[in-house]
Amino acid sequence: MFNTANEAGVARQSKGLVRRAAIVGVAVALAFANRSSIADVVAVVSPKSAITTLSKSQIEDIFFGRVAHLPAGLQAVPLDQPEGSLAREEFYTKVAGKSPAQMKAYWSRIIFTGRGQPPREMPNDADLRKRVATDPTVIGYIDASFVNDSVRVVF
Amino acid sequence: MTRTCNPICNDPGSLHGHLRRALGVWILVIAVWQAPVANASGPDEAPPDRPMFSFDGFGTLGLVHSSEDNAEFTGSGLTPTGAGFGHSWSAAVDSLIAAQVTANVTSKLSAVLQVVSEQNFDDTYTPHVEWANVKYQFTPDFDVRVGRTALPVFMLTDTRLISYASPWVRLPVELYDLVPVTSNDGVDASYRTPMGAGTNTVQFTAGGSDTRFPGPDGIGTIHARGLRTFVDTFEDGFATARVTYGRSHVTIAEFDPLFDGFRQFGPQGVAIADRYDVDSRVVNFLGLGASYDPGKWFVMSELGHFSSHSLPGDDTGWYVSGGPRLGRFTLFATYAARKVESNRSDAGLTVTDLPPSLAIAAAELNAVLNTELASIAVQRTISTGVRWDCLKDLDFKLQVDHTRNGAGSPGILEDLQPGFKPGGTVNLINAALDFVF
Repeated sequence: MFNTANEAGVARQSKGLVRRAAIVGVAVALAFANRSSIADVVAVVSPKSAITTLSKSQIEDIFFGRVAHLPAGLQAVPLDQPEGSLAREEFYTKVAGKSPAQMKAYWSRIIFTGRGQPPREMPNDADLRKRVATDPTVIGYIDASFVNDSVRVVF
Repeated sequence: MTRTCNPICNDPGSLHGHLRRALGVWILVIAVWQAPVANASGPDEAPPDRPMFSFDGFGTLGLVHSSEDNAEFTGSGLTPTGAGFGHSWSAAVDSLIAAQVTANVTSKLSAVLQVVSEQNFDDTYTPHVEWANVKYQFTPDFDVRVGRTALPVFMLTDTRLISYASPWVRLPVELYDLVPVTSNDGVDASYRTPMGAGTNTVQFTAGGSDTRFPGPDGIGTIHARGLRTFVDTFEDGFATARVTYGRSHVTIAEFDPLFDGFRQFGPQGVAIADRYDVDSRVVNFLGLGASYDPGKWFVMSELGHFSSHSLPGDDTGWYVSGGPRLGRFTLFATYAARKVESNRSDAGLTVTDLPPSLAIAAAELNAVLNTELASIAVQRTISTGVRWDCLKDLDFKLQVDHTRNGAGSPGILEDLQPGFKPGGTVNLINAALDFVF
C-alpha cells in the first residue's frame, strides 16, 4: 500500500496524532458538558404561590422588569443572585443569551432613563431559597442542586 | 419668600430656572413627607427590600484625533471645542461624568434627579440637570412623568450619554446630530400593552425647552415651544421596532439681524426673510428604527428626517450597524449618511438694480445667507471598531471613522479655518473608557 517505509511511518504517526486529538477533543467536550450540568439553574417560587410554571419569555419579562405578560392576579417580584456569581451568569445566558456586561448595559439604559431599578440581590443560593420559601410574592433562581421541597421549580 | 438660588438653578429669571427649582423643592418635600410612611408600610406600599434612595452614576473618558487640521470635530453643533484645528487630540468631545439619585417614595411614586458634567455650549464643565422628574406609576403598564426628561427623538437619544450602554464610541452623528434638541420640560406619559407575543409601548411627550449653542456672534438659543413627540415601540424577544413623530415651534433669535436686514430691501427681501427666518417656525421630525440582538451578534438601523422649513434646511440621516460578540469583545462596523433635500445656495437679492451704496449691503447679506446654507452637513461615514469589556462595569473602545463630506459641504465640522477645503475626507481615531457605578 505504501511505496516506502518512510511514508508508512508518516501515515502511522499522523494517525496517532488524529487519535490523540480526538481523545483530547472528547475530554474537552465532556469537561464543558460537565460544567454546564453542574451550573444548571432553575427558577423557583414559594409552594404557596399560585404560579406553577412559567415560559422562558415570561421569565425574561419578570427579570428584565417588563411584567406586562404575567397572567392576571399572579405576582412575582424578581430576586437576583450577586453580580459575578456563576448562578446569575448562567441564568441570564439561559433565559436571554446575555452576558453579565450585556445585562449591565441593559440595566444602565433602564436606570439612567428613570425607567426602573434592577431586582434586589440575595447573597447566595441558600439565602435566596430561604427567602422564596417564606414569601409567596417573590421569584428567584438557584442552582438545581439547592432545590428541595421548600420551593417550587417553575422554569 | 426670599430669592435664593442653588448651583443647579443657573438661570433664576427664566421659566426653566423656576421650574427646575420648584422640582427640586418638590422632590425634597415629597421625600421628607413620605419617608416615615414608606418605612411603616407593608409590602403593598413598597417592593421588598427596596431602599428609599439609590445612587448611581456613569462616565466616559474619551480621546479623539482628527486628520483635518483646518477645522474642529466637536461631535455636535452644541459644543465649541473638539479635535482638529488647535488640538490634534481632544478629550473634550466624549468625556463626561454623571450622577443620579432615584427616590422610591412608594411603589407607585418615584423621582429621579440626574446631573451631568460635560463640555457645555460655553466651553465650561458646569454640571447641568439632564433629568429631574417625578413619576407616578398608575398601573404596572401606565406611567406619567412631570418635569425634565430626555426627548425621545430617536431610538438611543435618551441614553445617548451612557456610552457604556452602546457598542460604539459615540452615536452615529449623521443621524443623532440631525435634531439638536434633546431635552423636554413638561409631561411624558407611557402606556404598554401586550401585542401578540410581544409588547407595544406608546409614549407621548409635551412641553418645551431651551438649547444653547456656540454661534459665530456669541451664544445662541434654540427656543422650542409647543414641543410634542409621539413614539411607538414594539418589542418581541430579540427584535425591536420603533417609530417617532415630533413637532415643535422653534425660534432662534440670533438670526433676526440677518433677516431684519433682508426685510429692508422691499418685497424681494421680505420673501427671502419669510423663506428662511427661524421665528416660531413649525419644525417636524420623523424617525424609524429597528434592531435585532440575539446576544452573540447585533444589527440595528435607523432613519430620521428633519424638516425645519427654514435656514437649517430639510435633512435626512440614517445608519446601519452590526457585528459579532466574541466573549468579552464586540466587533462592529457602521455605515452612516446625511443628505439635504433643501437648497444649499440662494441667488439672494438682485444687486444689479440697486444703487452702489445699497448694493454693497445687499451683497453682504447674500454672502452671509449663502455661507449659512453652504454649511449644512452632507456627509457619509464608514466606521469600524471594537468594544472590550475588560473589567466589571468598565469597557474600553477603539474606533476608526472615515468620513467623506458632500461636494461643497464641511460636513458637521466647526470652526472652519481659511485653509479648509469643503468636500474632502476626514479620518477620526477614537478611544474611550466607559464606566458605570
